[in-house]
Amino acid sequence: MKPGATSWMVLGMLAIAVTAGAAEEGTKALAIGKAAPMADVKMTGVDGKSFSIMDVKGPKGTLVLFTCNSCPWVKAWESRIAELGNTYAKQGIGVIAINANDPKAKPEDDMPAMQVRAKALGLAFPYVMDATSDVARAFGATRTPEAFLFDAGGKLVYHGAVDDNAHKPAEVSARYLHDALAATASGKAVATKETKSLGCTIKFRSRPTSS
Amino acid sequence: MSARMVAALGLALLAGCGAPREASTPAVEPEPEVEIQPATAGQLHQAVRAGGARVVLLNVWATWCAPCREEFPDLMRLRREYRERGLRLVLVSADIDSQLPEARRFLIDQGVDFLTYLKQGADMPFIDSLDARWSGALPATLLYDGAGRQLWFHEGKTTYDSLKARIDRVLTAPSDTVP
Repeated sequence: MKPGATSWMVLGMLAIAVTAGAAEEGTKALAIGKAAPMADVKMTGVDGKSFSIMDVKGPKGTLVLFTCNSCPWVKAWESRIAELGNTYAKQGIGVIAINANDPKAKPEDDMPAMQVRAKALGLAFPYVMDATSDVARAFGATRTPEAFLFDAGGKLVYHGAVDDNAHKPAEVSARYLHDALAATASGKAVATKETKSLGCTIKFRSRPTSS
Repeated sequence: MSARMVAALGLALLAGCGAPREASTPAVEPEPEVEIQPATAGQLHQAVRAGGARVVLLNVWATWCAPCREEFPDLMRLRREYRERGLRLVLVSADIDSQLPEARRFLIDQGVDFLTYLKQGADMPFIDSLDARWSGALPATLLYDGAGRQLWFHEGKTTYDSLKARIDRVLTAPSDTVP
């Protein structure tokens, strides 16, 4: 075989090898425009009551936030998250914070620790445990914190980060989630629909093995 | 001021604060050093394309990221095993400034004695510049050939066997395809 032919053949093989290894769960995040999956699944909150996403649905929209107690990125944002949730819960946006982390992987993500965090932050909205991690899987959520905002019609209008600077609040230049909430609460279109930030992987629970 | 300069300054101050040593005092072992250089995604691409490697493994990690810490020994093992065959390991910490001492300690504990990097700039352009498929969750690992062409991307923890197989595949490709 000619050297040139070898090159092309191997380059082709390499090109085939240019792949993306899926994150642990291998699912794509919920697409803009889609409805919340598993919205009727009940999850236990820090007050002992059960809530589904449908239960908290607001007349103007619904914010589903995957979060936890343990991630430094969450800790950096948590006071802003609490303020946003508490503010917009009064303005017709239903809010639910969901912890999908397996406490076996992260002991500080167990229910007693969630109760402590919710009290310390003064959360005025449900903070619940996704006890199978299946709700997070269904959303294609991969990290904490990760926000999914639905409009009054139940369609996803924003997915992503809280803002563009977790660790230096004074240097935030784009308040993504705030702006999306404000637009949705006013019945307007969200300008920036998808954003990204670094964050901790969700520590998914293992799926039960069938025997 | 670079992280290395800060460390050097700190050591110098510490040395200056002590009482004069007796001549008979055994020499103190110098602390191992590790260089952590701030880098944007563009600078990381330059580092990946820098000559001399046949395959480049880039890993974005952080001290607060448990899966990152768990997979780290495998990355170092691969570097030990493949360095002479042309593997370059590019380690990029996503720690924030206040976590730098912890990052430095971790790198030293892991036996890192080569240049590493500290992520700079806003998250979103950094993430998308490395790979648009990356959600931002850590760790993230990318494989490049010697010319800096990206071959593979993985979000989440990797395994030694998976990485080894991919590195072997690149290294066994005929040399005329690996500039």
